[in-house]
Order: sequence, then C-alpha cells, then structure tokens
Amino acid sequence: MSGERHATAEELLAVRDGEGSAWAKAHAAGCAECGGELYRLEQVRSQLRALPAFVPPRDRWGVVAERARRERRQRRLSGAAGLAAAAALGGLLLVAVQGTRPDALQAQTTLRSAMARSQAMEQVLQGVDPDARALGGEAAGAVVDLQRRLETIDARLGDPAQWGNDPASQAQLWNERAGLLSALVDVHTTHVAYAGL
Amino acid sequence: MADTIPLAEAQSLVARARAGDFGALEHVYRAYERSVYTLARRLTKTPEDAEDVLQETFLEVCRSLGKWRGDGSLWGWIRQVAASKALMRYRREKLRATEVLADDAAAGSTVDVPLRLDLEAALERLPERSRAVVWLHDVEGLTHEEIAELMGMTASFSKSQLARAHQKLRAWLGEEGAGR
Ligand SMILES: [Zn+2]
Repeated sequence: MSGERHATAEELLAVRDGEGSAWAKAHAAGCAECGGELYRLEQVRSQLRALPAFVPPRDRWGVVAERARRERRQRRLSGAAGLAAAAALGGLLLVAVQGTRPDALQAQTTLRSAMARSQAMEQVLQGVDPDARALGGEAAGAVVDLQRRLETIDARLGDPAQWGNDPASQAQLWNERAGLLSALVDVHTTHVAYAGL
Repeated sequence: MADTIPLAEAQSLVARARAGDFGALEHVYRAYERSVYTLARRLTKTPEDAEDVLQETFLEVCRSLGKWRGDGSLWGWIRQVAASKALMRYRREKLRATEVLADDAAAGSTVDVPLRLDLEAALERLPERSRAVVWLHDVEGLTHEEIAELMGMTASFSKSQLARAHQKLRAWLGEEGAGR
C-alpha cells in the first residue's frame, strides 16, 4: 500500500475512467483493498451495460408522424398566409393611391391575396425534393388527378371569357388553384392520398 | 449503446427527411425507438413518462433532424435530444429541492439495509438524479462535463453524485453482488 490512506470512491472511479491521478493509480495498483474496489466498479459498469433493453409497450410512430405532418402543414399555411397578407397590403396601398372605389378595392385585394397564395404554394411545390415525390400506388394516382384539375383551372384562368371583368370569380379560381397546389404538396411529402380533395 | 445506422446511411436518410420524406423519418424511428425508450425508462419515474419522452423525442427529431450536422453519430444526437427531454420533465416537476433531502436521508439509512437487491432493483432504488448520472456516465458514456450541461450542475457535482450512487449500489448489492 502506497500512501497513508485509501483512495476515495471518486478517485477510484476516475482511475476506472482513465482519468485518475498518478497517486490514485499507483495506490490502486499496490493496495489489495482499493484494487478490489476498482475491479468491483468495473464489474458494476459492465453489468449495467449488459442489462436488457426495454421495449416500448406501444408503437408511437403513428402519433408522432401525424403530429409532425400537422405541424408542417400549419407552418406552410401560415407562411403562405404571410406572403398573401404582404401582397394584399401592397395591393391595398397601390389601389388606395389610385383612388379606386371601396368595393372594387376589396375585390382587387381578394384577388391579389388569392394570386399570392397560389404563387406561394407554387414555390413550396417547387421546393419538394424530386426524389421524395410520390411516384407509385394510390398517391401517384392522386397526383395525376390533381394535376389534371390544375390544368383545367389554368385553362380557365387563361381564358378571360370565363371570368370576364369579375375579380371575385377570378379570385375564386386562384384560390382553387392554391388549394390544389397545397394538396399536391401534401401528397408528395406524405405519399398519402387524402380523400375529399 | 452502439449506433445502429452507419454514418453514410444516416446522412442519406437525413437528406430525404429534410425533403419531407416521412418514410426516411420512420426508418430513423424504427432504428432508435428501443434505445430511446430504454434511456427514457432509466431517466424517468414511470413507464408512462418514458413513453411520453419517446414521443416528444421523435417529434423533435422530425422537426429538427436538419440541425444534425452529420459529422458525429446520429445516435449521439438523438440521445442528446432524448436525455434533455427526459431531464426536462423532472426539472419541470420541481423535484430538485425535495430530492436532495431524500437523497441525504437515504444515504444515512443505506448502511443497515439487510436485503440484497439485484442490480435492476438497486438501480431502481437510486434517487432519480443519481440514477440519471450513473446511467448517462457508465452506460451511455457521457462525460461529466456533458452531464453537467444537460442537468444544469457542475462537473464536480456530477462526479460526486456518481461516487455516492456507486457507494449505495455497493451496499444494496452486497459484497458478492458485483461478482455475479
Ligand atoms: Zn487502499
């Protein structure tokens, strides 16, 4: 035994972890009692590591994925709403300066925010990784259907005879377009075909 | 606990997850659910708490897997998330002050505990914070500095907690307890 005292538990743990002082290492090497305690501490650690793992009693993935998807959708929608609000404010200022009548102003604002919403969703859709896009199964069928409906809307928007000089019906078409784009983003990112869209 | 997904695979999974691929996220969940739940069981009081930690951890993983830098092990990052979720729970429950007292009272009574416990029961009997230190250090391999940061204490306090916990385990396991 080297030195006039035994090593403390803390000193021996430091030796076990490869961080002990020179004194503690030398003492543990020469003192049967402390050497035995050091061995015991190593054994306890091995036994702790060998304890069997716990198995979760229930599969929580469904709950986690559902909540994560909802959060993503909300973030996306609030992002689009923010852009739409900014665009609407821009439109409001512009027409205010031009001195347009209030009802026309309202219609213009609605139209601008619908267009902004559609543009925002378009950007989100472009941001979806091509590798992650839904390419098979039920989801792929939904994509084809949504794209067909999108083409129909685009055709109507491209034909002024369909909406004339009515900003309200034009806005409705843009809003429908944004909704279809949003549904497309959902299908691509979740690979789940939502019913009712 | 070892990382069950090789680094290259983890990096490609994370790239897919960033693009919104829930299949990649599910793969990560399946690979680590047991490890996270086991860690949570050791760091919380009840199986129900551990299930909540499992859920909160993976929701956080879904939200911020993009923050994983891709250099260290993916398990190391997820473990950090899980440990902080678990430890946040009892910080929230404000057990700290009462636990220190319970801890001291238990320390005095350990000398004359007649029964010999098995390791599982002895571990269970440790005060929550001591058990967390033992588990994070001896099993998960976290340094005292890492534990200190997670638990909001100093590294030297973590060291003395570990030593006291091992003294209790020794008393409860009995002399031959460690040799089994
Ligand atoms: Zn000694």
